[in-house]
Amino acid sequence: MSPVHFIAIPLFAAFLIPLAGKVSKELVKIIPGLVLLYLSFVSVTLFPIGTHHPVVEIIAGFKPPFGITLYYGAIAAFLTTLITLIGFVIWLYSYKFIIREPIEKYYMLFMMLITGSTGIVLTGDIFNLFVFFEITSIAAYSLTAFLRDRDGAEAAFKYLLIGSFASTFFLLAIAIIYANVHTLNLADIAVKIQDVPVTTRLFVLILFLIGLGIESEMFPLNGWAPDAYSQAPSPVGAVFGGIVVKAAVYSLMRIIFLMFNSHDVLHFLLVMGIITMLIAEMSAMKQQQIKRMLAFSSIGQMGLVIIAFGIGTEPSVRAAMFQMFNHALIKSLLFFSAGYLVFHSGSKKISALDGLGHDKPITSFFFAFGALAIIGLPPFSGFWSKLYILLSIADAGLMVPVVLILISSIIEAVYYLRVVSRLYFYKEEATDVRRTPVSGLIAMGILTVVILLVGFYPNLILNWMTPAAADLLNKASYIKFGLF
Amino acid sequence: MNSIAYILLITFAGAGITFIVHHLIKPLRDIIAITVAASGLYFVIQSLTEKTKIVFGIADFNIIWGNTPYSNLFAVLIAVLGFLTILYARDFMAEKERLGYFYMNLLFVIGGMYGIVYSQDLISLFFFWEVMTWSSFLLVIYCCKEAQPIGLKYFVFSAIGAYSLLIAIVMIYAQTGNLELSNILQNFGNISEVNQIVIAVLLLTGFGVKSAIMPLHVWAPDSYSISPSPFTALFSGALSKMGIFGIGMVLFKFASHSGYFSYVKIILAWLGGITALLATFYAIFQTDAKKLLAYSSIGQLGYIIIGLAVGTPLSIAAALFLVILHGAFKAMLFMSVGAVYFRTGTTDMNSVTGLIRKMPLSFVTMLFGIITVSGVPPLGGFAAKWMLYESLIQSKHYFLVIVVFAASTAAFLYLYKLIFSLFLGQEEVEWSHVKEVPLLMLIPMLILSAFVLVAGIFPGLVLDPISHAMQYLGNYGFKYETSVLFNEWGNKINMQTVINVIGAVFLIAGLFVTFKGLKKTRYVTTKDIHTSGEIPEENENLTYAVDFYKPFERAIAPALKASIDKIYTAIGNNLEQAFDFLRYVYTGNGQTYAMYVVLFLSLLILFAELIFGIKL
Repeated sequence: MSPVHFIAIPLFAAFLIPLAGKVSKELVKIIPGLVLLYLSFVSVTLFPIGTHHPVVEIIAGFKPPFGITLYYGAIAAFLTTLITLIGFVIWLYSYKFIIREPIEKYYMLFMMLITGSTGIVLTGDIFNLFVFFEITSIAAYSLTAFLRDRDGAEAAFKYLLIGSFASTFFLLAIAIIYANVHTLNLADIAVKIQDVPVTTRLFVLILFLIGLGIESEMFPLNGWAPDAYSQAPSPVGAVFGGIVVKAAVYSLMRIIFLMFNSHDVLHFLLVMGIITMLIAEMSAMKQQQIKRMLAFSSIGQMGLVIIAFGIGTEPSVRAAMFQMFNHALIKSLLFFSAGYLVFHSGSKKISALDGLGHDKPITSFFFAFGALAIIGLPPFSGFWSKLYILLSIADAGLMVPVVLILISSIIEAVYYLRVVSRLYFYKEEATDVRRTPVSGLIAMGILTVVILLVGFYPNLILNWMTPAAADLLNKASYIKFGLF
Repeated sequence: MNSIAYILLITFAGAGITFIVHHLIKPLRDIIAITVAASGLYFVIQSLTEKTKIVFGIADFNIIWGNTPYSNLFAVLIAVLGFLTILYARDFMAEKERLGYFYMNLLFVIGGMYGIVYSQDLISLFFFWEVMTWSSFLLVIYCCKEAQPIGLKYFVFSAIGAYSLLIAIVMIYAQTGNLELSNILQNFGNISEVNQIVIAVLLLTGFGVKSAIMPLHVWAPDSYSISPSPFTALFSGALSKMGIFGIGMVLFKFASHSGYFSYVKIILAWLGGITALLATFYAIFQTDAKKLLAYSSIGQLGYIIIGLAVGTPLSIAAALFLVILHGAFKAMLFMSVGAVYFRTGTTDMNSVTGLIRKMPLSFVTMLFGIITVSGVPPLGGFAAKWMLYESLIQSKHYFLVIVVFAASTAAFLYLYKLIFSLFLGQEEVEWSHVKEVPLLMLIPMLILSAFVLVAGIFPGLVLDPISHAMQYLGNYGFKYETSVLFNEWGNKINMQTVINVIGAVFLIAGLFVTFKGLKKTRYVTTKDIHTSGEIPEENENLTYAVDFYKPFERAIAPALKASIDKIYTAIGNNLEQAFDFLRYVYTGNGQTYAMYVVLFLSLLILFAELIFGIKL
């Protein structure tokens, strides 16, 4: 087994799915599940190895710094595991949720997305990173417009428009780097970029910040996000929040810690994180559509992650990773339950959710559960990561971000609890009929159990987070292993 | 395993089991809930004799649970009230919906409170604090649509409180690198003095929200009055005491190092005084019995805070005595008002009247309750108030004495209104069907009534554990005997004498009333009256409670017009409008978003030197 499987197998599956579609529709649905199940198995098996000692995989026999390498260290191990497991749960949910044709296209794009995201996390080559970014983005654009309605198309177009800015800047940055250091290997760049003139470096940094900032939903570059999240089918919202953004933030942080690790840059990230979080949470307050609200909440959470990364100490990076994990779980749960709530109420509006708690007790329960978890209340997992972020910020001697994070938590509580109130207490009679399919309930159930489990045993995740944080922060070891 | 582990495990697991059982075998649900609460009580009593400590690691922290004499005091309060409320809830809630949800959250609240008092480290303290907060929030919004904004207000204020606790905890961690209580207490003096004060004030704010000190009280009246009565009894009786528990810890365990701290204490004492006085005035104007009690509860907590903030041994003893007593009598009052609600479906004092002959035992409970509140002998309130006055005079807080005295006197007004309008006065035909509440609801009320009587005659029984708790808080000693109260200058009051005198007075009064009552009595309804030529309209409300204190209200109304609640509401509304405006940053227009990207790029390039320290 090797980390190559993470990229090769879903890519192969993506091409296989249209063919399988000629044979049987069921096969189309089952293949991604099998692939993700296998990948989860691989990731769990490889996890201890990668965490213990980075595995560097050389593709096609060219040694670094000339060939493309895959760097499977602690953080990559953690993120691939997260991506494949969340991907599996999303597949489980999609199984009955995506009933509209063309099903094979949905699963094909889904597989591409998994390929791209794991590729982003694994690759040790910056141009390769760009390629995986494009794969992810193109799959994401298409999935946004999957429902082929007017709003979806519009959202996808906006996403495409802003996304092309991201690609352009990213590519430009790579070109400048290549022109200066004549290498594309990340570890090699990290070594050689020190010799590049400081102004060039700064320009490259700015291009990266914008290119990757767009994908990491940093304010004011995140205009595409609310539309894309809310117009795409619900499982795709979970994909965006649980997988794509995580990969993007990872690559941003990897590049910054490798090439531009300076106090000013981190400080800038901290400030941008705070602005992102505050504006997103405030905007979420008065949203009228539930999925749009979730989208803003997701942006806010990413702001929180960026804040924690911006502190740049080991505890804070660890806390940021933990928050990424929790957010992936909880936001997926929220998108899943919101998906069926929207489906059952027949409207995207929050006001249409009145009384659904009586009609759809289990789905509503999952939403309420997710809401309490994401606010960061104990005994759910979100509590620990938020606590760790706050402690690490205070440890770094800053109090203002702590206060602002808590203020935004209060705002978050208000808009989430309003929705929960609507679900249960605004209307008393039960009317309906349509049931949430079992596969969807299982998917949500798994997430719920994990959220509770991690809430009671945070060490379950936290222990893995320490090497991951060290991996991200330790530039020297990355260079050492990346170049042999 | 020791008692504390059992208490927490049983309560939390029991909560979950009750919820599940509700959906499987409904009749078993009440039995399980009662069993859980009862075994909680059993193990709390067990734990009194042992001194235990549980240490285990979660995340990077040592979680430590243990009991101290101080926590035992509160644990007993929680256990007894928790058990009695669940007993009371059995019949009270029988007809209601979503009972699995109700019992689960009620047990979560109880478990959360146990956790708070047994926590010996700040992580688990905050953990349980939050669990208590959200589960009590879910109980506040239990009833109906109207409760939703009220519940949200409660949650927002609780969150503000909880987060100021969290900021303090985070600061402590940054300063001392440790969150174990014993460690923090040792190292607290090493923190810089400014930080000590900031941390203490943040902690006091956090705890103060739960005990509804003004100006952080605005959530309380509505939340108390809209939550289901059994829970209100616990809410006001025990949950609000968690704030007091914390304040006591902060005042005597944390902040004894800094000299500036005396100012904080004085401010706190005065906030307590203002709370006591204003809440009492507000209570007088209420026409809803539960809301009246809610304000009364806020006011009573004001006394407790005065007692703690003044900080002489006698005043602390008085405060802790009031903690126990208030737990008992406020639960009694909420329960008996709940009993009225149970039979009449309303707590509106303008419509319910003359229930004394129909619900005599509920009446007795309420009578005992209000006698305790007002601090009249022979019930427990007398001893508590006496100690409070004594300590205030002794420590030369003369203005506070005046405030407390004014508040206590004014309290008579609302207490009289409460009992008079619900139980006395003329009988209404409308309520002729009313009868006494079921036995299971009466038992808790009568147990608590008996308790306040005993506490009145033998205050020493309660003062005994209190003196242990005070030893823990910092070697505060004071003199007491089982039924004798002492003051500093050597006088003493023998409760036995007091009880004898009172007994004699009651006997004579009772004989007088009985003899008078032997004459033929005619019971009249409100409409059955002779007025000077005017015949009352059929739908005219003539119950005595209408405009009960009209002249007094008129006199004092202007002073109470400026309401903090309105200010908070205005702030909230303005913020929401601002947020609504802000969300149009996201115009939904792709071109705008593209423009943002370009603008951001130009800004970064233009201000590169400012941001990154390097000129581009």
